[in-house]
Amino acid sequence: MDAALIPKGVKRCPMWQFLLALGVVGAVLAWGVYAMLLCWIKGLNQTNMNDYYGFALWIWADLAVIAVGGGAFFTGFLRYVIGKNELKNIINYAVLIGFICYSSALLILAIDVGQPLRNWFIFWHANIHSMLTEVAFCLSCYFGVLCIEYIPLILENRQIDKVPFFHNLSHNLHETMALFAATGAFLSFFHQGSLGGVAGVMFGRPFAFREHILVWPYTFFLFTWSAAAYGPCFTLLVTWITEKITRKKLVKDNVIELLAKISGWMILSYIIVKGIDTSYWANITAKSMGLSLHDFYGRNWFYGYWMLFTELVICGVVPAVILITSHGRKTAWLRVTAITLGVVGVCLNRWVMVLQIMATPVMTFDKFVLYYPSWQEVATTILPVAYGIILILISYRYLPIFPQEAELNPIDTNEPVSRETAIDADAGTDSTDTAADMAPA
Amino acid sequence: MKQAQKEHTTKRYGMVIDLDKCTGCGSCMVACMSENNVPFKTDESNKLDSITWMQVYKLTNGKSYPNTEICYLPRPCQHCAGKHEGHSPCVSVCPATATDYSKETGIVSQIYTRCFGCRYCMGACPYHARYFNWWDPVWPEGMEKYLSPDVSPRMRGIVEKCSFCFHRYQLARNKVYLEGRKDLDEDEYQTACTQACPAGAIKFGDLYNPEHEVHRIAQPDMQHGGRPQNPHVFRLLERLGTNTKVYYMSERRWVRKAGDNYLPGEFENPGAVAGSH
Amino acid sequence: MDDASIWSQNWAWTPVPADGAVTYENSTCTLCPGGCGITVRKVEGRAVKIEGTKGHPVNDGGICILGLSGLQLLYGPTRVASPLKRIGERGDGKWQKITWDQAISEVSAKLAEVRAAGNSHALGAITGPDRGTVSGLLERFLLVYGSANFVRTPTMMDNFEHVLYLTQGVEATAGFDIENADLVLSFGSGIIEGWGSPVRMFKANARLVENGADVFQIESRLSNTAAKSKHWVPINPGTEADLALGLAHIIIGKGLFDYNFVSTHAHGFEAFKQLVQTRYTPAVVSEKTGVAPGKIEEMAVKFARAAKPLAICGRGKGSAPGGLKEFLAVHMLNALAGSVNRQGGVLQMPPPDYIRWTEPVTDELAAEGLRKGRLDGAGSDQFPSSRHLLNRFIAAAAEDATAAPQVLLVAGANPYYTFPGTQVVKKAFDNIPYIVSFSSYMDETAMNADIILPNHVNLERYEDVPVIAGLSKPVVGLSKPVVAPQLNTRHIGDTIIRIAKAMGGHIAGAFEWDDYQACLEETLSDKWDALSGSCIWVDDAYAPPAPDQAFNTYSSKFEFNAGQTQKALNADNPLPEGNTAEYTLTLIPFDAMRLANGYIGNPPFMTKIVADTVMKRKDGFIEINPVTAGKLGVKQGQRVTLSTPVGEAKVRVNIFEGIKPDIVAIPRGLGHTAYDEYLAGKGVNVNELLGTVEDPASGHDAAWGIRAKLTTA
Ligand SMILES: Nc1nc2c(c(=O)[nH]1)N[C@H]1C(S)=C(S)[C@@H](COP(=O)(O)OP(=O)(O)OC[C@H]3O[C@@H](n4cnc5c(=O)[nH]c(N)nc54)[C@H](O)[C@@H]3O)O[C@H]1N2
Ligand SMILES: Nc1nc2c(c(=O)[nH]1)N[C@H]1C(S)=C(S)[C@@H](COP(=O)(O)OP(=O)(O)OC[C@H]3O[C@@H](n4cnc5c(=O)[nH]c(N)nc54)[C@H](O)[C@@H]3O)O[C@H]1N2
Ligand code: SF4
Ligand code: SF4
Ligand code: SF4
Ligand code: SF4
Ligand code: SF4
Ligand SMILES: [Mo]
Repeated sequence: MDAALIPKGVKRCPMWQFLLALGVVGAVLAWGVYAMLLCWIKGLNQTNMNDYYGFALWIWADLAVIAVGGGAFFTGFLRYVIGKNELKNIINYAVLIGFICYSSALLILAIDVGQPLRNWFIFWHANIHSMLTEVAFCLSCYFGVLCIEYIPLILENRQIDKVPFFHNLSHNLHETMALFAATGAFLSFFHQGSLGGVAGVMFGRPFAFREHILVWPYTFFLFTWSAAAYGPCFTLLVTWITEKITRKKLVKDNVIELLAKISGWMILSYIIVKGIDTSYWANITAKSMGLSLHDFYGRNWFYGYWMLFTELVICGVVPAVILITSHGRKTAWLRVTAITLGVVGVCLNRWVMVLQIMATPVMTFDKFVLYYPSWQEVATTILPVAYGIILILISYRYLPIFPQEAELNPIDTNEPVSRETAIDADAGTDSTDTAADMAPA
Repeated sequence: MKQAQKEHTTKRYGMVIDLDKCTGCGSCMVACMSENNVPFKTDESNKLDSITWMQVYKLTNGKSYPNTEICYLPRPCQHCAGKHEGHSPCVSVCPATATDYSKETGIVSQIYTRCFGCRYCMGACPYHARYFNWWDPVWPEGMEKYLSPDVSPRMRGIVEKCSFCFHRYQLARNKVYLEGRKDLDEDEYQTACTQACPAGAIKFGDLYNPEHEVHRIAQPDMQHGGRPQNPHVFRLLERLGTNTKVYYMSERRWVRKAGDNYLPGEFENPGAVAGSH
Repeated sequence: MDDASIWSQNWAWTPVPADGAVTYENSTCTLCPGGCGITVRKVEGRAVKIEGTKGHPVNDGGICILGLSGLQLLYGPTRVASPLKRIGERGDGKWQKITWDQAISEVSAKLAEVRAAGNSHALGAITGPDRGTVSGLLERFLLVYGSANFVRTPTMMDNFEHVLYLTQGVEATAGFDIENADLVLSFGSGIIEGWGSPVRMFKANARLVENGADVFQIESRLSNTAAKSKHWVPINPGTEADLALGLAHIIIGKGLFDYNFVSTHAHGFEAFKQLVQTRYTPAVVSEKTGVAPGKIEEMAVKFARAAKPLAICGRGKGSAPGGLKEFLAVHMLNALAGSVNRQGGVLQMPPPDYIRWTEPVTDELAAEGLRKGRLDGAGSDQFPSSRHLLNRFIAAAAEDATAAPQVLLVAGANPYYTFPGTQVVKKAFDNIPYIVSFSSYMDETAMNADIILPNHVNLERYEDVPVIAGLSKPVVGLSKPVVAPQLNTRHIGDTIIRIAKAMGGHIAGAFEWDDYQACLEETLSDKWDALSGSCIWVDDAYAPPAPDQAFNTYSSKFEFNAGQTQKALNADNPLPEGNTAEYTLTLIPFDAMRLANGYIGNPPFMTKIVADTVMKRKDGFIEINPVTAGKLGVKQGQRVTLSTPVGEAKVRVNIFEGIKPDIVAIPRGLGHTAYDEYLAGKGVNVNELLGTVEDPASGHDAAWGIRAKLTTA
């Protein structure tokens, strides 16, 4: 019954299935919204955060979604700045995932602060020396860019596209997309970095603190690098999950493998740099403050050496090695294992860089404190996941997200294949940005 | 040096706390709560969400009976100056300029009406000197009567901390100004905790002023971030470069050692370590 | 924008305190016997802060956490807002508000009824201190009414007074010139736990630290005092008297005692020497006390060689009297060192003597009642020199309903909570048909009374405060109303006078003052001007009498061996209740500054700063040594059941290196059932697990602990 809205040339599940999925995920969303309202109305006493854990699950979730959302800026960077044209077949989805991640991050931030009504003070009374100010500015700007990147996708909906104004708008936006993508990439380098800077500048917290290059601590660069390296893993992982759920091949292997390969090399280089950073920090920086690695990793079962090993080796070296080898990335299970480990790795890194900082005592007579989130925190953290799934459900159903979908999944009906779709089906040979560009004017 | 100090028109207010005198009685904590309208809840036994601008830590030497020793360590905000003045761990990170370093007094302020509760400053402070208002402050019916108008009660969702009783500085300055004098005397500006301490363990004054007791005891080397020159005086986490203005004094080595982190052998070889006792 | 900003900054429910003119008023804190001077900051009539009065001879600007929290008591929810009459069962908390006229006529009618029946001796009164006009009025009331049963709550001061009486023949309180001592032997006294006048002691302790004085803290638990002393001497609890006599053994054996004092001003030394030389050899004492012989010798020699040594006792805050033997033994050490009535030593302090009311005229009914004597036996042949024995009073009331008082007045005391052996108090209360509380707060005793006639709190009332808490100068403070009465309360002095007047006859005749204010001004006549201005009067000229004039014994000398002294020194140490086979541990209560454990309960600020290893949510903790914990297989924070021969409680374990193995310690001051939601129901009242052990010489409760066991279930 919504056939008119569905992109041409592709098949979508029956309406009841779609609504059922929406309903199930919507229920989770409603739970999250309820928790969110509790936090707003009753305050942050609804959480298990405390004066030792000023930053906790939410800030981790924030950093994590932004890191995995890094697939958007980095794919954009590769596609528009470096000129990896194959990636146009996954860029829409990368942008959508990025949009979900960043809007989620902003939503979580809005719940996380104690006085949400004063959020604008960060701009109004900005302290330009604060990494969080940098984060706020870059994040807001980049979210704007993501909106601009996402809007053309919406405009490509079959019905919207029929409106001449939207059609032209869409066309014009596409013309300038490279510029926005480049801007977005640039902004992203900064805010990913400033999120790393948030930790690295805390010179009162030896676990977090890093020496500086110019005004930025090493973590600034490490965060950008790791987001670029692991972000694509998440894009690939979500794409793979989408393919499994839709039971369709949506992106061609060459595209997937290209992104996986780039990601692999990025991870490898990142892990080398991260290893150097860790050892410099452990042997020089921390020791100058009278602390050794053991003080951070050897005093608490949870924040033990296993976590460092998992982050650097199991979720760093291992996926890197898999993805840089041709056999590894071409073997589906190995590739999926690698990108999954990659996503876990970057999330673990962000966990460590938020929660272990809070947990590790600095004063000699202070204690290691552990924390577990309250259900309200969990619900509000799952909220953006539910929201993301809903956005994907809707976008996938009504927007031509995957340019290669129709080609890879020809519809076996009596209806003649429309001309547009036919042409679209052999896309990849010309320089069009999206299928919509091929629509008759 | 003396000349240079005389010419300071600005102040660097600070404390020296004698840990050998401190009894752990808690008067400083309660005096502070009472002076600064600090709220309380029906259950304050979760020390991780209990607002105590002044917190008295209990330190032990870790030895077993009967060689156990205890020392109490009162911890107000350390009013860190940072490596270059004003680069306090907390002030430098606050995105909304809601906490500030005064170049006039060296005091780290907290602007309650500007703080939006992001808690970055709390993460940055290694002393746990900052407290978040997880709850709306509620006084039992009638008890709001004792609230002081000098310090505004804080609302839920923001961070608060020791201010070195800044309102007392303002009141003293006003008085001095009205009386046509130029400068505050040492006893004209004293914090509530200093005043209350029954053991006389807390001294408060201007670290720049050679006549003030804090200066005489700590002998701060203001050319080097205020490092204490008295061998029995130390600062908490000196090695981080937080350059705090709260000094501690003890004759006991294990206590002085507890003030900072040392790799094995470092404390015993102070020459090799920047900033050790 | 600005509006939005303001709107987001001010929430209607966050109070905005009104500003106004600031004034300061001096008064004297009466929340403990310390007698500190306080200065209250006020803003337009509201009291906003209590501070210690600068230059005050007791506390010179310092103040303790209880004094600081005074405004939470003044404005807080624990207060009794008007006279109340019980309507439910006792302890149910069901009350009816009544008017003051009703309250006074009800109580006076009840008193008249008992008296008319010839039972005037069946009126009892329990107070906190027994000095000053308020307790004076109450005692006077009992006298003209015809009852000798006026009982003050016992403290270590009872024993000090007893000791001074036996050895020096004087009715005096003890003063301690700690500030000027250069060595202090403390037998478990909580120098910084609230012993004596707490703030004064904190200051004295700071002086000791500054002067590098040797302080030996002798106790089985690493208290704050032990932690802050130069030397902590762990000892088997309950053997302090043995240690003191063992020290005397060495001092005498080595000839290190003050020869001049002993030979010229003392009597009975040979007998004392005989006693310690035969029975308290280092080997025996070391065995009993668990202190190494070398340590005993070191202490003895250091003590005797110091220029101004001082030995003190009275465990913790000194709120429990303890054994007379221990106090005597410790006092003998001071005598051996010549530290009696000398700078840096123990001083005999004249009791306050400004109350010089005319002898009341009494009637036949009163005489009849007084002839029946005291229920507690104080002053009887059995305990000739004891003045008040609350433990015996309560035991007698609990034991026999016919002997129990028919009316009990309670003022400035909370025996229902503070008395060790709460079950016995409950029984006693059950036997007393009519209980009148004058409490300002809904404490446990008030909760279990039949009628409450609430007193003003200290910041609302006048009261003279003779400070006897071990100061080295006679000091009288004045507590002054700093704010108008906040509730429908009345000064207890006025209430007593009104009840007396309502009863008419000789009783009314003994109270001819218009009101308490008039009584106070008249009583303090020569000091009133000074006191009403500065709130403090000090006899700076006071010096203890010279040794040839000081002693009022038969020999006019210091008595080492008076009859009762002999009896006490020869007695065995009081043993804790319970058999050692079943109860393998020993429970000792301890005092901590952050827990008020007398008549006043913790205000919210104090409870707020109680450590989470003492109280967590509703749970109270016990302290045990890791060795004990290992033996019992219990872990930090674990919930266990602690049982003693008299009761049991669910507690949590705090493993603490600083406590002797096989000892369990619980702080006094938790486990309230009354007061407000900030205090009630938290932790365990150790008194419910304790019992009393009667001292054979004094009749006081000499218990210092009780046998106990832990079970995990
Ligand atoms: N053989 C041998 N020699 C050693 C060492 C060793 O182990 N063996 N250890 C070495 C080490 S680690 C050290 S730190 C040095 C210590 O050597 P010193 O620096 O000589 O240390 P202290 O003996 O503590 O003397 C400090 C002085 O400061 C005084 N003082 C106390 N408080 C104050 C105060 O508030 N202000 C002022 N101005 N003075 C005060 C004390 O009275 C004392 O006179 O010895 C070193 N020498
Ligand atoms: N009464 C009194 N006490 C004092 C002082 C005083 O003046 N008077 N001075 C105080 C002062 S300033 C100081 S510095 C101290 C010195 O007192 P301590 O801290 O006791 O120092 P040392 O006696 O030099 O030895 C310290 C221990 O560390 C061990 N050690 C050496 N190197 C290492 C290492 O690399 N790793 C580990 N784990 N152990 C190592 C040594 O073998 C020794 O057992 O004394 C303090 N105590
Ligand atoms: S008031 Fe003084 S003695 Fe008491 S805890 Fe504070 S600093 Fe220590
Ligand atoms: S102690 Fe903490 S809150 Fe105070 S100035 Fe230093 S960093 Fe800031
Ligand atoms: S919580 Fe308040 S003071 Fe702290 S960093 Fe955030 S805005 Fe600044
Ligand atoms: S200086 Fe003032 S604000 Fe700071 S701890 Fe002391 S009383 Fe509190
Ligand atoms: S020590 Fe006693 S008298 Fe002094 S302030 Fe504290 S409670 Fe009041
Ligand atoms: Mo040293």
